[in-house]
Amino acid sequence: MNVWLVTAAVLLVSLIPVGWVCLRAEPMDRVVALQLASNIDALILVVLSEALGRDALFDVALLLALLSFAGGLTFVRFMERWV
Amino acid sequence: MNVLVVVLLVVAVAAVVISVAGMAVMTNVYDRMHYVGPASMIAPVAVAAAVVAREGLGPAGIKAVLVAVVVAATSPVLTHATGRAARIRELGQWAPTDDERGDA
Repeated sequence: MNVWLVTAAVLLVSLIPVGWVCLRAEPMDRVVALQLASNIDALILVVLSEALGRDALFDVALLLALLSFAGGLTFVRFMERWV
Repeated sequence: MNVLVVVLLVVAVAAVVISVAGMAVMTNVYDRMHYVGPASMIAPVAVAAAVVAREGLGPAGIKAVLVAVVVAATSPVLTHATGRAARIRELGQWAPTDDERGDA
């Protein structure tokens, strides 16, 4: 157990309230919670990469950051009028 | 150096916890959007700084900085798009309404 693993664990636990908002709130609030969850997930992957010594997880974090941006924009575009 | 890494990770965790708590407590989508800020700006920079402090500017450090830059750059854009979509969904338009313009 090192400081990186503890950090990753705390960040994982912090996703629980975000998941609650995603489940229970209004649609636009859910999109905001999804955006926050995506940011936290990217941080978790970076921290886990350091904790486990696996450099490949940095690439996954970068990909997640880019794709969650594109996905979020797609969500909000559709939720303006069509969903 | 270990102390610096711990301090930076504590800062990152604190920013995320504050963001999550604020977003969960707020009831309005416009208020909730503001709390995404610390988790998308302070936390990634602090984590990237912690990685660089530990690994130096090698491949791992550069990738961590890149992740922080991408998250910090894209999050405000997405937040603005979300606010715009929320307004259009609520009012039917992005432009100011007559009441907001103060037209007689």
